[in-house]
Amino acid sequence: MRAIIEPPPEPGAPLAPLWKRLSWFAGLAVSGAAATAIVAYALRALLR
Amino acid sequence: MHFDALLLSRLQFAFTIAFHIIFPSFSIGLASFLAVLEGLWLATKNEAFKTLYLFWVKVFAISFGMGVVTGVVMSYEIGTNWSVYSAAAAPVIGPLLAFEVLTAFFLEASFLGVMLFGWRKVGPRLHFAASALVAFGTLVSAFWIISANSWMQHPTGYVRLASGALRATDWGQVIFSPTFPLRLTHMVLAAYLTTSLVVGAASAWRLLKDPDEEESCLALKMAIGMFAIVAPLQLLAGDASGKQVLQVQPAKLAAIEAFWDTKAGQAFHIAAWPDRAAAANRWELSIPKLGSLITAGDANATITGLKAFAPQDRPPVAVVFWAFRVMVGLGVAMIGLGFWGGFLAWRGNLPQARWFLRAAVAMGPAGFVAVVSGWIVAEVGRQPYVIYGVLRTADAVSPVSQGEVSVSLICFMAVYALIFSVGVLYILRLIDEGPRPAATAPPPTAMRPPGYALAAAPEEPAAPPRGPASRDSSGDAP
Repeated sequence: MRAIIEPPPEPGAPLAPLWKRLSWFAGLAVSGAAATAIVAYALRALLR
Repeated sequence: MHFDALLLSRLQFAFTIAFHIIFPSFSIGLASFLAVLEGLWLATKNEAFKTLYLFWVKVFAISFGMGVVTGVVMSYEIGTNWSVYSAAAAPVIGPLLAFEVLTAFFLEASFLGVMLFGWRKVGPRLHFAASALVAFGTLVSAFWIISANSWMQHPTGYVRLASGALRATDWGQVIFSPTFPLRLTHMVLAAYLTTSLVVGAASAWRLLKDPDEEESCLALKMAIGMFAIVAPLQLLAGDASGKQVLQVQPAKLAAIEAFWDTKAGQAFHIAAWPDRAAAANRWELSIPKLGSLITAGDANATITGLKAFAPQDRPPVAVVFWAFRVMVGLGVAMIGLGFWGGFLAWRGNLPQARWFLRAAVAMGPAGFVAVVSGWIVAEVGRQPYVIYGVLRTADAVSPVSQGEVSVSLICFMAVYALIFSVGVLYILRLIDEGPRPAATAPPPTAMRPPGYALAAAPEEPAAPPRGPASRDSSGDAP
């Protein structure tokens, strides 16, 4: 079964192009912030 | 003791914050430890740092999640149980907590995803940036929370309107109130100490089982290096913080030291039984003049005693007095452990020093106990005020009934007992397994449904082929 927490790339494994890695970086960051915002607004709506 | 809504609300907040503070005080230090491990792995390519990172990041993920869950509760508690406080202080405290969400929470939430799920996707350097940003986010979170708490301990830069509500007049003075820098330093050092003691205990536990485990030996040396330096620094920061308390909260300092009378050359009470009703210590074990020397830096200094304050303005004494001694006693033990470990590391026989390893394991929870004790000193010591000198705790409570608070307190106790037990047991199981290099990790198991009772069990041997031939080979088939 694949590990949930991702380990680093194998030594010597080729890295994806920089634009692709930056896209993942920005995409995961925005997804994390969006998930926090959704939970925050859901709780706010629940309490109103 | 009468359990009215006020006392129950105070117990509820004390209960929830005591559970909560355990997790941030651990995750602040652990996030920095992870960033250091990853940075060292990138710089040296020593695989032991990577193994340690992959091991401790699991513990971090669980404790971070539990910290968020136990922390969110308190925001709502302020509204439900302390609505008078909220109404009066929200214009000042509200923005500080909002800044924490907007800066720290979002920073941590954004880059925790990269940290946990994106190493192969973003590559090593961007992943290190994410780890460093999460570590920075935990410190930013501490900054805002300690800023809010410091303002409540010694409010500055505000006015009180005729309606009783408070308004900020100078945000610089609100955020950077006079006690804030030292209190932030004290808290961050406490977090680093707590984490280094846990890392040290986990590594020592593994070395007791296997003295040749390279990763645990390395982690133990790093932990010793941290608490050998940070524990003495914490003593200095705590001493400076105590001297500040003498200036801004003399009643709290008098309670910490169980000083009842105002006099020159106060004795230091090593142990005492403070009696609030009698306004005296029933018995005490003291060193003459040392109290004035420690608290004011002058053995003949005059220190204000509790009798200088009206009885209704005095904090509870015994709990503050003893919580302070637990904190300081553990701090001294941490300094001793640091020197002992440093000496053994210098001698080069750390993994074989079984008495030290046992002591390091025993000291694992000491940071948590010291942090909770320190918070008891800070929070009980500023009673009877919730905002020192401005709003009394008794006036800050919501108009809620005793029954309502009792029910919610019982619910909290039940839910927290479940979450805390499961979380801590899982972390202890992880620690017991220890860091495992990829080469010695067990092969991946087959896809099994989550929660399957044998999910972690090794693969079964291949079943023999069905059919007449297999039956024949067994010899005793029916």
